[in-house]
Amino acid sequence: MMTAATLEHTTATAQGREVSFRDTLASEWIKLKTLRSTYITLGLGFSLSVAATGLFAMAVGNTYDGWSEAQQASFEPLMFAMVGNVIALIVATVFGVMTVSGEYANGMVRQSMIATPRRTRVLWSKVLLVFGITTVLGLATVTGMFLVGQAVLGAYGLPTTSLEDPDALRLVIGLGAATPLFPVIGLALGFILRSTAGAITAALALLWLPLVFNDMLPAWAQENILTLLPGQAVDSFTIAHAVDVPTNSPPLVGVVLVIGWLTLFLGSAQLLLRRRDV
Amino acid sequence: MIEVQQLTKRYGDTAAVNDLSFTVQPGRVTGFLGPNGAGKSTTMRMILGLDTPTSGEVLVNGRPYRGITSPMREIGALLDPKAFHPKRTAYDHLRWIARAGGLPRTRVDEVLDIVGLADVANRKAGEFSLGMAQRLGIATALLGDPPILLLDEPVNGLDPEGIRWIRSLLQRLAREGRTVFLSSHLMSEMEETAEHIVVIGRGQLIADANIEDFTRNSTSSHVRVVSPRSSDLVPLLRQAGAAVVEAQEALTVTGVESGWIGRIAAEHGIELHELTPRRASLEAAFMELTGDSVEYRATAASTLETMEVR
Repeated sequence: MMTAATLEHTTATAQGREVSFRDTLASEWIKLKTLRSTYITLGLGFSLSVAATGLFAMAVGNTYDGWSEAQQASFEPLMFAMVGNVIALIVATVFGVMTVSGEYANGMVRQSMIATPRRTRVLWSKVLLVFGITTVLGLATVTGMFLVGQAVLGAYGLPTTSLEDPDALRLVIGLGAATPLFPVIGLALGFILRSTAGAITAALALLWLPLVFNDMLPAWAQENILTLLPGQAVDSFTIAHAVDVPTNSPPLVGVVLVIGWLTLFLGSAQLLLRRRDV
Repeated sequence: MIEVQQLTKRYGDTAAVNDLSFTVQPGRVTGFLGPNGAGKSTTMRMILGLDTPTSGEVLVNGRPYRGITSPMREIGALLDPKAFHPKRTAYDHLRWIARAGGLPRTRVDEVLDIVGLADVANRKAGEFSLGMAQRLGIATALLGDPPILLLDEPVNGLDPEGIRWIRSLLQRLAREGRTVFLSSHLMSEMEETAEHIVVIGRGQLIADANIEDFTRNSTSSHVRVVSPRSSDLVPLLRQAGAAVVEAQEALTVTGVESGWIGRIAAEHGIELHELTPRRASLEAAFMELTGDSVEYRATAASTLETMEVR
């Protein structure tokens, strides 16, 4: 039996402002910042990459004198910004996957979709945050790797370069900015496969396997097939100026390919998220 | 108000929910009963827009869930008390949910007070017992102060004090004019808490009635009569169509109201020492009605004995 007072009460609460994208985005941000594992994961990504680069530079420094003339001539200090990057990429990709797959694992995804029946808002807020966070992580990590690498090389008296060199700066920024691609793909795979193991495997396979198979394949395969894959495509417009490999495409082609891959993955994720039962 | 209209949900060939229609009205506690696998959770997920019906529709205050702009202000739900990240504090868990629902942060403290978890708000949710997790889930449902509450097995895991607490909470919310819809297996508790029940079995509606009416029609409802002249009374009762079982101490009479028995006895001058109407328990009425719609039934003990002999 509804009295006037309760009627008023229920109408008042129902008249609250509409839930907006900003609300969803803010809630996703809260999810990330209230878990210690977020900071540990990102921190590890940074420190392991920088440490690996430092160690590698030390190894080079120690063994340089034993190198052949040809090897010494081909020594390129710029490359030392890249060595530990694969660690950061793996960590960032796992991070991207887990922002989604974790919710399916513990059932939180249902609560997310109950609070946000316009489900694609959840997808896109996660994309925005993962993109932003992994870009910052990537830039910070590459800069850190570069500075540490150069410092160690310098300590051994080897030729170094600095960020004042425009090529070096372009590489550092390019490499850092390319970081979010696989995390975002991983995020999409999280919604598509709804499994942590499955999505991480798929994302890392896409990241890793082309590198593994690269040397086993003939040049035409590298130039025409591998070059289409997302990792290779993004390299074409971020680091191709410094790294000349057969899998590079012209920069614009690379951009189009990356847009195509993201459309494929995110488009599928959006479609499946809307249509499937949660 | 929740309106379920010809709701059907198929998975392949089997229908988990089959042409289900009922309405849950405000102002009272409505129980949702059914054997395991009857389709209760599926129905609740469809109410909340998580699962899409194969056919039919369900409306919450006149609209499908996915069309509501601020759903948490209109309907609060508890489906799975353990749906949280174990390493996140209870407070932060409610915080993200409140934010996602466009609700002010102050609501988090308010609902924590209502459910009595204010003292442990900063503990990690993974450390909670099942009972505490249930309270957290109820707090989640209450965040938007909604006029409709949908709770799946909210009593599960609560100790007797907790059960009593939630019973009075739900009844208070119903008295405020809200719609309260909860599913439970605990018959005795349902009997105490709910006034109206919707019973389903194998995805189909079995009953949609007042608890009083539901149990009155069960064969286990009877009247216990003790009289020094029961031998005179029995033929009178049987003549009127009642079924009488005579035991040493008392008669068990079914098919007539106790008031009628009293009047007949008075008209014939038969002394009555006991005249006690015994309403069937909800459990008895329920088992009777849903007996053949249980999908998975444990083997009876006698069958196990024969198995051993072989």
